[in-house]
Amino acid sequence: MAIGKQVAGLGVGTRMDVLRHHLAVAQREPVIAIGVILAVIFSLLILAPVISILVNAAIVQIGDAARTRAPEGAFTLYYLTRAFASRMSSILLWQPLLNTASIAIGAIGISMTVGGILAWLVNRTDLAGRRWLATGLIIPFMLPTWTLALAWTTIFKNRTVGGQPGWLETLGFATPDWLAYGRFPIIIILSLHYAPFVILILGAALQRLDAQLEDSARILGASRRRVAFQIVLPLMRPALLSCGLLILADCIGEFAVPYVLGLPVQFDTLSTSLYRAISTRQSGMAAVMAAVIMVIGVITLYIDTRMMREARRFAIVGGKGAMDRRRPLGRWQIPAAGFALAFFTLGVVIPLLTLFLSTIMRVPGRFSLENFTFDFWIGTNLDTVALRSGILLTPEFWSAGLNTVVIIGAASLASGIMGLLVGYVVIRTPFAALGAFLRQITFMPYLVPGIAFAAAILTLFAVPRGPIPALYGTSIILILALIADQMPFASRSGIAAMAQLGKEPEEAARIAGAGWLRRMTSIVMPIQKRALASAILLPFISGIKGVSLFIILAVPATDVLTTYSLRLVDYNYTQAANAVVLMIALLALFGTILINRLTGNGIAKGLES
Amino acid sequence: MPDINLTHVSKNYAGSDHPAVDDLNLTIADGEFMCLLGPSGCGKTTTLRMIAGLEHLSGGEISIGERVVDSIPAGAFVPPEQRRLGLVFQSYALWPHMTVERNIDFGLRLRKLPEAERRAKVADVMEKLRIRDYAKRYPSQLSGGQQQRVALARMLAVNPDILLLDEPLSNLDAALRLEMRAELRRLHEEFRTTIVFVTHDQWEAMTLATTIAVMNGGRLQQVGAPDDIYSRPVNRFVAEFIGNPPINMIALDAAQPAGLATRLSGTLSLTGAASLGIRPEEITLSPVDNAVPLGALRLESIMPTGGSWILELSLGGERLFHATHIRPSAKPSQMVDCFAWAEGLHLFDARGQRIETNEIRVRHAAQPVGLGRPAPVPA
Repeated sequence: MAIGKQVAGLGVGTRMDVLRHHLAVAQREPVIAIGVILAVIFSLLILAPVISILVNAAIVQIGDAARTRAPEGAFTLYYLTRAFASRMSSILLWQPLLNTASIAIGAIGISMTVGGILAWLVNRTDLAGRRWLATGLIIPFMLPTWTLALAWTTIFKNRTVGGQPGWLETLGFATPDWLAYGRFPIIIILSLHYAPFVILILGAALQRLDAQLEDSARILGASRRRVAFQIVLPLMRPALLSCGLLILADCIGEFAVPYVLGLPVQFDTLSTSLYRAISTRQSGMAAVMAAVIMVIGVITLYIDTRMMREARRFAIVGGKGAMDRRRPLGRWQIPAAGFALAFFTLGVVIPLLTLFLSTIMRVPGRFSLENFTFDFWIGTNLDTVALRSGILLTPEFWSAGLNTVVIIGAASLASGIMGLLVGYVVIRTPFAALGAFLRQITFMPYLVPGIAFAAAILTLFAVPRGPIPALYGTSIILILALIADQMPFASRSGIAAMAQLGKEPEEAARIAGAGWLRRMTSIVMPIQKRALASAILLPFISGIKGVSLFIILAVPATDVLTTYSLRLVDYNYTQAANAVVLMIALLALFGTILINRLTGNGIAKGLES
Repeated sequence: MPDINLTHVSKNYAGSDHPAVDDLNLTIADGEFMCLLGPSGCGKTTTLRMIAGLEHLSGGEISIGERVVDSIPAGAFVPPEQRRLGLVFQSYALWPHMTVERNIDFGLRLRKLPEAERRAKVADVMEKLRIRDYAKRYPSQLSGGQQQRVALARMLAVNPDILLLDEPLSNLDAALRLEMRAELRRLHEEFRTTIVFVTHDQWEAMTLATTIAVMNGGRLQQVGAPDDIYSRPVNRFVAEFIGNPPINMIALDAAQPAGLATRLSGTLSLTGAASLGIRPEEITLSPVDNAVPLGALRLESIMPTGGSWILELSLGGERLFHATHIRPSAKPSQMVDCFAWAEGLHLFDARGQRIETNEIRVRHAAQPVGLGRPAPVPA
């Protein structure tokens, strides 16, 4: 290069020339402009809320001047000290942390044991009806967690809280608190929810495992047991660990189940105490709690990423198996089938049936014919304080339904399209840094549990900021939060789709003379229509199930179905609440199945969102 | 139609400290069938993509005719959609959601031609490339060869001044390759389009191109007519890259006392030469005029290749390969007398650069010229 510089002034331009050239290129390549616009949007939508909440943890909040003996907005360690090292710490932080850890560990232990056994039964044995079970066993994962929680309270609720009694109570069994509320039911419900996730991940890993590896060991004379423990299990280890960590991250952020089952007995987890702090307007403490949840989330996913990198070192090239990998169950056939069926009954049949029955019973738990009624669905002039008609005749229900479709639909549409654009920029940008920034920033909400993220959005947009008016109480804040929340999935699927497409079809269109808009509408979008559809529809379904964002950001005017049902729970309209929940659950279930049919994706792939 | 001029063109990719293309100067004349030839990673595809505008320069300037299309000193960049050229991708890049017809029609639509004219053009180009029967099919329903013809038709339909081809034959089987090679030649003659063709396959380059540009490690090695590149390689890289089986290279600097170099130094002046290349087809086993004797070599093995033979010969630790169309009469482990055509000897200095071998010819010019071989074509 040095020689070139001397010989030819033309070859190497000055820094000014290079800059001018960059500008000329940038003008002609819309990908850069789009990338910059997206980067600005996500900085506002994702980065700013996260930073603001971290900052809020260390500056004096409105109304706290007297308590902290410092002016509003000044730097303070008051909140951190109060959370970590004061007489209140144990109530505010340590006990909730301990509770969170205990339910997470419990849920991981049970779900991985049960899910592991089921994954093996479905994938590696001649279990009767395994094809049907492969789908059926996944269903609890498609249902919102709090569906199960509400079904649980319907059965086990006792006199500790008021309102209508639980079924068992009506039938004459006094259920103890430990069975009705708190740690035990939360662990059981989360285990039921995450066991299908384990089945999905381990099942996929088992299927990917090259049978030749097992065959080679068998040919060298290893017994089945030895093959299982020395070949299969070590190779499964990355999948097992990753599975456990992802469940851990989800459990830490889990809000709805502890909200329904924990609050009656003051069983607080990190997310419910964050909610408490927000609802009692202690924004400083809320910031600290949100930061703690975020840090745990980041650490968990960092470890996961590290381990996945390790795992790639012994990535296995798939091959075709020669030996029969299915093991006959023999006399274990009946117990095994019974186990799988029991899981299905507990995770799907009982909760949905309970919810349904509860909506058609006047007095919970009295199974006599005159007690059954459809009034709670379609009745009028009911003998109640409010909600005097059946749920299907209540205008609030329909407006919540409409809100759900409009708010979540708008957010899903926006995030689906932005996800594809992120993919476009990441794959196409000539400036690697821009792509890397977009990839990382869109993934950030994944590290931050929904409740903490909602809190972050709230701190930032609840008050007017510059040209942006105060957004609290509007559906815009919900849409913005949802978009941010959905970006990790939307951008990942966008990047995957664009990477798979490759750049050549679009380059060919450029050569043919097509401008950017033409290329997007005639080439990229039509080829990607399936990916785009699933990038819009899957977040829509998960948005319908979601609770944590809405419970913080929604007000009665912007109620969606989930918050509406929780409001009904709070006011003890159990039947109506369960009816709404049942509808959400069925919507989520059939929506997921429908999308998978439409897009031809495996169920496993669609649910990893 | 315009020339393509590349002046001091270089390309650096972020994260790589080795330039993909390094100070490349090349002119592709109007109507030329230019082939960029080199091993994978030599920068040939990058060069092609820079001409197309799909990659931006890191240094230098490219102009097509009078128009500067990408230039660092001028700070200019014309996007590919405005360069009016055609590019056939290695993977063909047919649009999977359009039929063959629609694929070909796309560029014409963009040019806003009237419907009747478009239809006639599409029909015409489909006829020429013999893909008329597949008009209504989707690309996934076509074989590799058919897809390749559709990709070509898509570009030819808009009559580009310049047609760029990125390894268009590499995904085809051997028989189809031969057919498509003939087809490309025919197209070049018929449309008189300037063609720039990228390949790592020397046979493709030799059979198709009017001019070959050999590249290695981002640098241009040699530009010339195919025969020129073969018979007068400017350096060791070109000599070793071109030719199959590859040229025999004999190290002269670390010569063994009883080795070939010692034998040859009697007949040749080797001053300044570090290595000597002898093409396998330039060795002969019968004493002819204007040949340099290599002495007796041991025949190690005979490999028939169907209609021709490759003989492995050795002297001490040195090995030579000899390719011939004459059925060998000797048996392995016999000693055979070998000769090399004087024109087939290539000397290279310590830096691998060619040393002009006039001197060899001068020495042998005194001998009577025999009938063994036609006189070499002057370069």
